[in-house]
Amino acid sequence: MNRMSVQAAVTMGQLQSKLDLVGHNIANVDTTGYKNRSAEFSSLLFQQVDNLNDEEANAEGRLTPDGIRLGSGAKLGSTNVNLALGSIKQTDRGLDIALLQDNQLLQVAVTENGATETRYTRDGTLYLNPTEDGQLALTTSDGNSVIGENGPIVIADGAEDVSISENGAIQVTRNGVVQNEAQLAIVEAIRPQFLESVGNNLFRLPDITDEAYVADDIIQGVAFNDIELQSGALESSNVDLATQMTEMMQTQRAYQFNSRTISMSDQMSGLINQIR
Amino acid sequence: MLRGYYTAASGMMAQQRRQDTLANNIANAQTPGYKQDQATIRAFPELLIQRMESGSTKTSSGQLNFPMQNTIGSINTGAYVQETIPDFTEGSLKETGTATDMALINGVLPDEEGGLFFTVQNGDGEERYTRNGNFTVDGEGFLTTNQGYYVLDNAGNPIETDGETFTVSEDGVLQIGEQAVPLAIGYSPNVNDMVKDDEDLFALGEDGVAIENARDNANVTFSIQQKYLENSNVDAVQAMTDMMQAYRSFETNQKVLQAYDQSMDKAVNQIARLT
Repeated sequence: MNRMSVQAAVTMGQLQSKLDLVGHNIANVDTTGYKNRSAEFSSLLFQQVDNLNDEEANAEGRLTPDGIRLGSGAKLGSTNVNLALGSIKQTDRGLDIALLQDNQLLQVAVTENGATETRYTRDGTLYLNPTEDGQLALTTSDGNSVIGENGPIVIADGAEDVSISENGAIQVTRNGVVQNEAQLAIVEAIRPQFLESVGNNLFRLPDITDEAYVADDIIQGVAFNDIELQSGALESSNVDLATQMTEMMQTQRAYQFNSRTISMSDQMSGLINQIR
Repeated sequence: MLRGYYTAASGMMAQQRRQDTLANNIANAQTPGYKQDQATIRAFPELLIQRMESGSTKTSSGQLNFPMQNTIGSINTGAYVQETIPDFTEGSLKETGTATDMALINGVLPDEEGGLFFTVQNGDGEERYTRNGNFTVDGEGFLTTNQGYYVLDNAGNPIETDGETFTVSEDGVLQIGEQAVPLAIGYSPNVNDMVKDDEDLFALGEDGVAIENARDNANVTFSIQQKYLENSNVDAVQAMTDMMQAYRSFETNQKVLQAYDQSMDKAVNQIARLT
């Protein structure tokens, strides 16, 4: 009897996860450099039931091979990141940069629990933060240092203006003279599906000890000439709100359909109980 | 004996089975490439009932008694779900924008019951077939289904995408860097020979017509749309209506069962009543 309600209950749980995913996408519709995630369903196990063994019962009028096959609901398949470029939003703020090539990422040094790790982001909202020794560090909005060719980018005191060129060179004006003082170390994700989201708009390399790849196969440095960025602009999230709303409504309706299945199954149990 | 007792019960069981199939269809209304199942209900084989009585005839030495059998007619003793038949009609297309998503679109098929499938390899290394083109790239760079089963190329080998972005042409050829890899597309002349296996896969049933390579058959045409998925062909409204119908039928059978019980009640409590 319970097959029906189990099928529906299992599927409802998975539909809930899909709603979570859609909810997360909608929440990040305004997050700079956010990449939309999508998930599709997949059917679960099929069970072969040998309904009748009698030859005569099965011989006539059958279209399919013997027995009947009953499914057991649906589950979410893998979640895929959509890496399409978001739209570019002009901000006219000197330290805002938008990476124009797909899969290129900024490197950021993040210190967590005393350990420093390199993480990656497409969020180009950069700031200058004074350090203890009177210099200025180029950081993200969370205060994590942006990594350049020679480690975290630090600008010596006395700068009048700081801007970033199309190739990622940090141009500093001192006494009216513009000079390249540092170079952003941009990397490219060769296998972007591998990157793990760690919150705060950052990605990191997952534990790849069991995989066939080494870190260089996933992330590679980009040559100076191949960097293409626009300063004074930011990359918007690539979440399409209309699509997400449609997905949400559809998922919710599917949830309702499945809950109807459960109440129907429950009423059928009620009928059985009424027999006596 | 009241034969109808079990007839009513079997009717309830059959409707229950039908509900299981419908519930699974509804659960998979969002599964790409899912083919809805239809439960067919069939009457149990007919039984011929005969009356057994003894006849007698006068003979010179008195009376001879002999057994006699008269045919009364046939009776059906209920119904059961004979088979669940997948309906292979194509689902509508949906654009996803994901490069690893593919929709297989049937072109001209020489057989009325013919069907096309992506060919994949399951965990045991056996060939399986699927209509769900929601693929992904695994940890080693191979193109796989959502469950990690390898998608096969025309030569029967897993497809190494090397994590690179690829494009798929309309005739199903993956352009990976400099390499052109044609997808293996299976053609089944009779889709009813296909049996649903786990996780969106179909297997060839016993004694089924072998799956051909669709590219080797000049009469078969198909096309592949990258960044699209084929929707499930479940019509949720139809499925819900069928469910209500099955429910009512279940209810009616329950009422019949109760009516039989009332007859039984009379037999037990009234026939033997003395006062």
